[in-house]
Amino acid sequence: MALLSQTSQQGFQALLWKCHMFWPVSRCQQLFAASFSIPNREKINYFSFMTSSSTALPVDPKESDVLPTKKRSEIDCKERKGWDEETKEIPEGKFRFSSSVGAAKKWSMSHGLSRHKFSNVQPPEKPLQAEEWNKLREDFRLPEIFEEVMLNSMIRCNSPIDVAKSLLTHVAKRNGDIAYNVLVKYLTLCVQQGQVSEIRDVYDIMKARFRILESGAYNLLIKGLSNSDQWRMALTLLEEVKKIMIPSRTCYESCIKAASRHQEMKLAFELYNEMLAKDVVPTLHVLQSFFDYSRGMKSAELQKELFGILLYLRENQIYPHKTFMRSIKLWFESIPGGNWRGHLTDIKDSGQCPVCKHQLEDSNLTEEEYSNLSERIIRDVIHGTDTFRKTSPKEFEAFQAFVENRLPFDIVIDGLNVSHIKSRRMQCENLFDAVNCLAKENARLLVLGRKHMLMNSSNWKREIMKEMQNKADFFFAENISEDDAFLLYATLRSGKHCRFVTRDFLRDHKACLSDSLTRHLFRKWQRGHQIVFSSAEGRSINFLPALHYDCVVQTTGDTWHIPYKDVYEEKYSYQVPKKWLCIQQKL
Amino acid sequence: MQSANMLLRKILRSSGLPFAAQHGMKKDLLPLSRTLSLSLCLKQDKACEPSEKLDLDEWKKVMKSGLQEEVSEMVSEPKELSSLAAARETLEMWRLAGRAVPENISEEQLKTFMECPSKSAKKKYVKYLHLKELHKKNDKRKMDEKRERRLEAQDQASKTDETKKSSLICMWSSTMDKAYNWRAAQSMIFGQPLVFDMSYENEMSVREVTNTVRQIVMSESCNRKSVDPFHIHFCNFKDDSLYHREFIKSYREAWDKLLITVTDRCYTEIFPKDKLIYLTADSPKVMKTFDHDKIYIVGSMVDRSIKTGVSLARAKRLGLETAALPLEKYLLWNTGAKNLTLDQMMQILLTLKDTADWKKALEFVPKRKYCGFVNRPVKELKKTLDLVNTLKLGKGREVEGKRFVKNYPNKYKLKQK
Repeated sequence: MALLSQTSQQGFQALLWKCHMFWPVSRCQQLFAASFSIPNREKINYFSFMTSSSTALPVDPKESDVLPTKKRSEIDCKERKGWDEETKEIPEGKFRFSSSVGAAKKWSMSHGLSRHKFSNVQPPEKPLQAEEWNKLREDFRLPEIFEEVMLNSMIRCNSPIDVAKSLLTHVAKRNGDIAYNVLVKYLTLCVQQGQVSEIRDVYDIMKARFRILESGAYNLLIKGLSNSDQWRMALTLLEEVKKIMIPSRTCYESCIKAASRHQEMKLAFELYNEMLAKDVVPTLHVLQSFFDYSRGMKSAELQKELFGILLYLRENQIYPHKTFMRSIKLWFESIPGGNWRGHLTDIKDSGQCPVCKHQLEDSNLTEEEYSNLSERIIRDVIHGTDTFRKTSPKEFEAFQAFVENRLPFDIVIDGLNVSHIKSRRMQCENLFDAVNCLAKENARLLVLGRKHMLMNSSNWKREIMKEMQNKADFFFAENISEDDAFLLYATLRSGKHCRFVTRDFLRDHKACLSDSLTRHLFRKWQRGHQIVFSSAEGRSINFLPALHYDCVVQTTGDTWHIPYKDVYEEKYSYQVPKKWLCIQQKL
Repeated sequence: MQSANMLLRKILRSSGLPFAAQHGMKKDLLPLSRTLSLSLCLKQDKACEPSEKLDLDEWKKVMKSGLQEEVSEMVSEPKELSSLAAARETLEMWRLAGRAVPENISEEQLKTFMECPSKSAKKKYVKYLHLKELHKKNDKRKMDEKRERRLEAQDQASKTDETKKSSLICMWSSTMDKAYNWRAAQSMIFGQPLVFDMSYENEMSVREVTNTVRQIVMSESCNRKSVDPFHIHFCNFKDDSLYHREFIKSYREAWDKLLITVTDRCYTEIFPKDKLIYLTADSPKVMKTFDHDKIYIVGSMVDRSIKTGVSLARAKRLGLETAALPLEKYLLWNTGAKNLTLDQMMQILLTLKDTADWKKALEFVPKRKYCGFVNRPVKELKKTLDLVNTLKLGKGREVEGKRFVKNYPNKYKLKQK
C-alpha cells in the first residue's frame, strides 16, 4: 500500500484536494470516487476536522448558509469507502506482472491499475458509433477494462449521458450483455445528473437481471430517486434493502431528506427512529434537515421530536457545526407564538451566560456516577486483563492503603509529567515550583512519582526531594508501573472537590474503558477536574483552572444553551467548544 | 460474467425466437441506422437526432430481450433464500461490482463470513480470502511454467542423450535430514534449552494463532539446520488446544517425531527460576551479551493490534528476570514496532549463540525497520541519520529530527531553532 514515497503522496493529496474543489456538485458517494491510494495515516491528517464519531460536517470555509454538500460527500466517501478503494489495490511487488506474461488480463484486480494509470483518459464529447468505440478500445492498453475506465472518466468529467449510452450500446452489441459494474457506473452518472427516467430504466433492467443488488447500487438508486418527484419509490426501495441487509446511513439520509422536503415530517421521524433502533448513526446532515424543513410549523408533537434530537446531541456529546447551529436558531425563532430568541455568545470561566444570566450546569458528577466511574477505572484501567500489565496486586494494595490513610486530597499531581515543564531546568526544580505554586492555598497535595526519583541523580537532587516531601504526600510506584492510573484513582477517591494536574490528555486510559457511556462520563469528569498548566519557558508556571460548568447541550425548559463548533478550530475529544448559542423564551 | 454471457448466448441460440434474429449478437445482422461519421469534429445535424435516440437506447432492448428468457427461468426458483444462499448471492454481487471477493468460497468460509460482526469485518475477511486465492493461483501458474520448462529441458537432454556420471548417489535431502536429526537429538541431550511460552492462546484471535504456529514452525526448522541447535521446549502447552490443532495441521504425522520437548507444565516448574530470562520488547533491561547457561523464554504470541506489556506482565507475575534486545543501541531505528517475529528471534539467538556478534545477529531484523548499524555514541548518529535520509529518501530533515527524538527521547534533545 504505502510504498509511495512521502513526496509523491503529498502530490497526490494536492491533486485530491484540487479534485475536491472542482468536482461536480452531487457527486456519488460510491465506490467509484476517483481515488489514489492514500494510506490511512495520511487520511487522518487530511480529515482532521472530522470528529471521532465521524458524524461531523466538514468545514465550510466560506461560512455560507449553504451546506457544503459537495465536499462533504467527497469526504464521507473517502472516509468510509477508504477500504473499498484499497481492496482493489494490488499488493505491490507481489503481482507485478512481467510483460512477457500477459497475466494482467486474467486479473479482476486490474481496477486498481485502472485508477492509477488511466486517470487521464478523455471521454469523447459526442456519442460515437460502434466502430469508433471499437477503435478506441483497441488502442487502449488493457481492453478488458476499457469500459470501466471510460465510464469512470465520464463520471469525473460529468459527460453528457448520451455519450455513455452510446458506449453501452456498443458494449451490448458486442457482448449481448452488460456487466453489472458497468451498469452501476452508468447509474452513477445518471444520479449525478439527476436523470430520473434513466435511473428507473436501469433499475428495471437490474431488477430483472439480478435477484438482489449490492449496497452500492441501492445507495445510488435511493439517492437518485429521492431527489426526484418519484421519491416515494425510494422508500419502497428502502423496504427492499431492509429484507437483505441493514441499509446504510446514506440510504436513510436520502429517504429522510426526501420525506422532510415534502413536509412528511411524521414519516421522516419514523425513519429516523428506525435508524436509531438499528444502531445506524445518523449524519449531522439528517439532523439538520429536520430543523431546516420544520421551520415555521406549529405542532406540539414535532416540537417534541426536535427537542428529542437536541437531547440526542446532549447524550452523545455531539457539538453541532456552525451551519447546523444556525438552522437550530432559525427553527426556534420561527416557531409561531413561541417567542424564542437566540443569541450567539461566549461563556466565561464562571459558567454564567452573559445574555440571559443563567448559570450553566455544574460539571460535577452525581454520587452514583462517581462511584460508577471509580469502579470502572479500577476494573478496566488499572486491572484490565492482567493486573501485572500496569502495576502489580501488591503495589496496588499498598497504594490503596496509602491513599485511605491520608484522604482526602485537594490536588493530585502527576510528578513526572509536571517535572518536564521546562526542558532547560532540572526536573526536580520544575516539580518543586509546581508544588510550591499549588501548596499556597493550604491544599493537601499528593504527588505521584516513580522510584527512580529517589535515586540521587543529576535531575533529582535528594535535598530538594526532601524539602518537597514536607509540603506534600508522595507515593513512588515501581519504575515499570503506570502512574497515571494511580492518579485517576486517588483523585476519584478524594471526592468532588479534588483536582489533578497533568498535561497528559489521558486518551489511552479513556480507550481502556469498555463502553461509550463511561467514556463520556470520564471526559466530563476530566474536563471538570483536570488542571493544565501553560508551559511558558522562563516564566513562572501558570495553572489553568478546570472548567466549572459542563459543556453539553442543556435546557431549563424556557432556555436552551447549545455549544457549537466554530469553523476554523480543530476539535479533539478532550477539547470543548468555547462558543455557545443561547436561546430563551420571552413570555 | 463470462458464464452469464455463455448462458445468454446459449439461450439466444437455442430459443429460436424471432427476437434473437433481430437483436442477435452478430453485428453484421444489425443494419446500422446511422451514417458513419468517423471524424468527431463534424457537426451533426439536428435531423439525425431522432434516429440517434433509437440508437442510444439500443442497449436497453438488448438487455431486456435477453431477460425475458431468464425471467421465465427464475420464476421456477423459490423466492425465499436460505441465509447461506443469500450470503453467497451477496458475495456474488460484490464480485460483479468489482470488489475484492474470491471466486470460490467454501461453506465453512461462508459461515465465517456471516459471523463477522460488522460490515468492515466482512469486507476485510473477504479481501483476505481473495488475496489468498490470488496467491494460490499465482503459485500454481509458476509451478506450471516451471514444469513446462523442466519438461523442455528433459526433452533436450534426452535428445543430446548424455548419461551423467557421479560417484554420489542423489540422496541429498534425506541424508541432510538424517544429519540434522542427529544434531537435534544431540541438542535434546546436551543442548541449551530455549523455551516457547504457549500460554497466550486466549489473548489471540484464530488468525493470530495460525500465524504464531507458522512462525514457530519456521523457527523450529531454522534451529534444526543450525550448527549447534537449541533444545526447544514448548511449555504451558495444552493438549487439544488451538495451538495443538494448528501444529498437527502443519506438521501432520511429523508432529510426534519432532525432536523437541512439549509439556503442559510451566517453565518455572522445570527449570530453576534464577536461570530463566524472559525476552520481551517491553522489558526495561537491555540484553548486553548472550549468556550460555541461562534459559531464554520467548512468548509465542502474535499481536496484530499491539498489546503492550502482556508478556512483561507474565514475567512480573512469576518474578522472572526480563530482557529486551539492544535494538536501539545497535540500530538506527527507523520505523515499525520493536517486537520481532518468532523466527527472526530464533535466528538472532542462534547467531548470538554461535558468534556473539551483535552486528551479525541483528541482520535478521527486517531492513525496513532500521537505517543502519552503529557502534558510536548517539550524538553523532543524529548527523548520520540526517545524512542517510537526505541521501536515501530525500525527506525533510525536521521530520527525521522528530522521529529521532521520538526514538531516543532522553538521550538527545532537539535544539529549539
